[in-house]
Amino acid sequence: MNAIEATGVELTYSDGTEAVRGIDLAIPEGEFFGFLGPNGAGKTTAIKTFTTLLYPTAGTVTVNGFDVVDDAQSVRETIGYMAQETSVDEELTARENIKFACEAYGVPRGERADRIDELLDLVDLADVADKEATEFSGGMKKRLDVATALVHEPPLVFLDEPTTGLDPKARIRLWEYFREINEQGTTVFLTTQYLEEADELCDRLSVIQDGKIVATDAPDTLKSEVGGDVLDITIDDASEERRAHAAEVARESGLFADGTVEITDDGISVASEHARSRGTDLLLALRDADFTVTGFDVRSPTLDDVFLAITGEPAEEDDEPAEGTRESAAPEAAQ
Amino acid sequence: MSTVEAGNSNGFLMDIWINLKRWLIKTTRNPFVVVGSLVQPVIFLVLFTEIFGGAVGGALSQALGPDISYVTYLTPAIIVQSALVAAAGSGIGLVDDMENGMFEKVLVSPINRAAMFLGKSLSEVVRIVVQTFIILGLGYVLLWFDTGGEIGTYIETGIVGALGIVLVAIVFAIWFTAFSNIVALVTRDQESTIIGANLLQFPLLFVSSAFLPVDILPNWVQTVATFNPITYGVDAARALMLGRDVQTVIDVTAFGGVWNTLIPSFAVLIALDIALGAIAVRYLNRASSSSAQ
Repeated sequence: MNAIEATGVELTYSDGTEAVRGIDLAIPEGEFFGFLGPNGAGKTTAIKTFTTLLYPTAGTVTVNGFDVVDDAQSVRETIGYMAQETSVDEELTARENIKFACEAYGVPRGERADRIDELLDLVDLADVADKEATEFSGGMKKRLDVATALVHEPPLVFLDEPTTGLDPKARIRLWEYFREINEQGTTVFLTTQYLEEADELCDRLSVIQDGKIVATDAPDTLKSEVGGDVLDITIDDASEERRAHAAEVARESGLFADGTVEITDDGISVASEHARSRGTDLLLALRDADFTVTGFDVRSPTLDDVFLAITGEPAEEDDEPAEGTRESAAPEAAQ
Repeated sequence: MSTVEAGNSNGFLMDIWINLKRWLIKTTRNPFVVVGSLVQPVIFLVLFTEIFGGAVGGALSQALGPDISYVTYLTPAIIVQSALVAAAGSGIGLVDDMENGMFEKVLVSPINRAAMFLGKSLSEVVRIVVQTFIILGLGYVLLWFDTGGEIGTYIETGIVGALGIVLVAIVFAIWFTAFSNIVALVTRDQESTIIGANLLQFPLLFVSSAFLPVDILPNWVQTVATFNPITYGVDAARALMLGRDVQTVIDVTAFGGVWNTLIPSFAVLIALDIALGAIAVRYLNRASSSSAQ
């Protein structure tokens, strides 16, 4: 059985915003799956239709074998969900927060105490278990949030941008938990803006843009579409003409036949498997053509590069207000 | 092929209890709520009786007879007012929940939506019960000072009447709790909810039978008071306090004595509770499970 099956899912908000425009997905049990996309791509809206917080305008979604519209209650009982914004009751202690979640999900009374201790250990909050969450740092609250999403040992967990806004250390800590949950057999559905995160965790991922899936594959396969690393070069006189000329030099050098050369605002950008090894050769070629290189940087491909490679256009930030804001939970409630 | 089993959610009553417990913990942790719900009624009761007590005396004798103290007349009104304040604040907690994500967290869980509202309302009820007993006690103390210790009878209908007054406060509070939660669900905004609930509170109190006998108020106020739910809450509590029919906005004589006030008052308040409660639950359902259209 697939943990999630989506067919032709569309979601249009009452103000006419088409946040999701036709998504098809089949995610097998046990997979670590990711939605990768910029702000406003429709990630949060999609995850909310999978978790019964929004009903799809068109199409069908089956989660754990239950229809999200006709059998929302069964879906709710069998999933864990962690919203993009940290969701904990700050007036309750860590223990009370987890206890409330245990009660909400009907964890049998006899198992609660052990489960709570287990989860407090998992997220390293055992020593502050009886402190009110208002005293916690952002990272600690996030970890507490993770724990409350796992109380009923759901076979499927949704994580909506779980590490956005966290410092690198806290992020790596959370990655470890997610990996551990997945290794224990839980299907994980994650959304992220960070290629690095998707790369690190996901078995497969979909690149999502403007409410549509533009590519679905293993991270390595997707990254290979970018064609290796990226070499950014800035030049002294960055007039349009000069930049075009520099790009021409790079192309004609034959150094990066496998990759692409783009003109940027202040120079050129080369994406190639040889970006590292042949960078020096390119610099020399540019010097021979009377260019003064004022800066260069070799880096791994980013989400922007993947987008550029897959969609042919940069990942621009949309102004879709509904995406990722709390108000989007029920835009129609204000009617 | 494996299948996932559903069906591990609680019964309806358990869902109510879970929510009630969370809100009670939060109430006791919020010193502002605890102090506010106790200090405010004390201030109002003392100020009103001390400042208006003398001036109102004549009007009161005229309306209800010479033996009525303004303290016993006003105490039921302060009880209803305090219930109103507690109810008005209910939606603020809900907006809080929306802002810190707990609202969505509960919506995505198997918890029953109606139980969510009932649990929240019951926590207000608990607060109102405690508050009502305290105000009744305070009224007794004030009366003791007023009469130099010769109180006679404080609550004419006795212990049963005192419990009846608590019941009035509860039945009275539910419709306004629902109203406050509806404002919260519609506006999803802290300030709007505070303003929405408080804006109504004071005007409604003054154009009711709360502070003065309706008969001595201007005609238009009498008309408004007839359609003002606060009149029915105050009249019911006051009838129990004074042991007589005190309702003048509508004239019911079929039941005899206090029942002429109690039965129409409860009828009006319960009808309001059901109507507004239903709307609140409907909004909660819409907030949780709807197409975006």
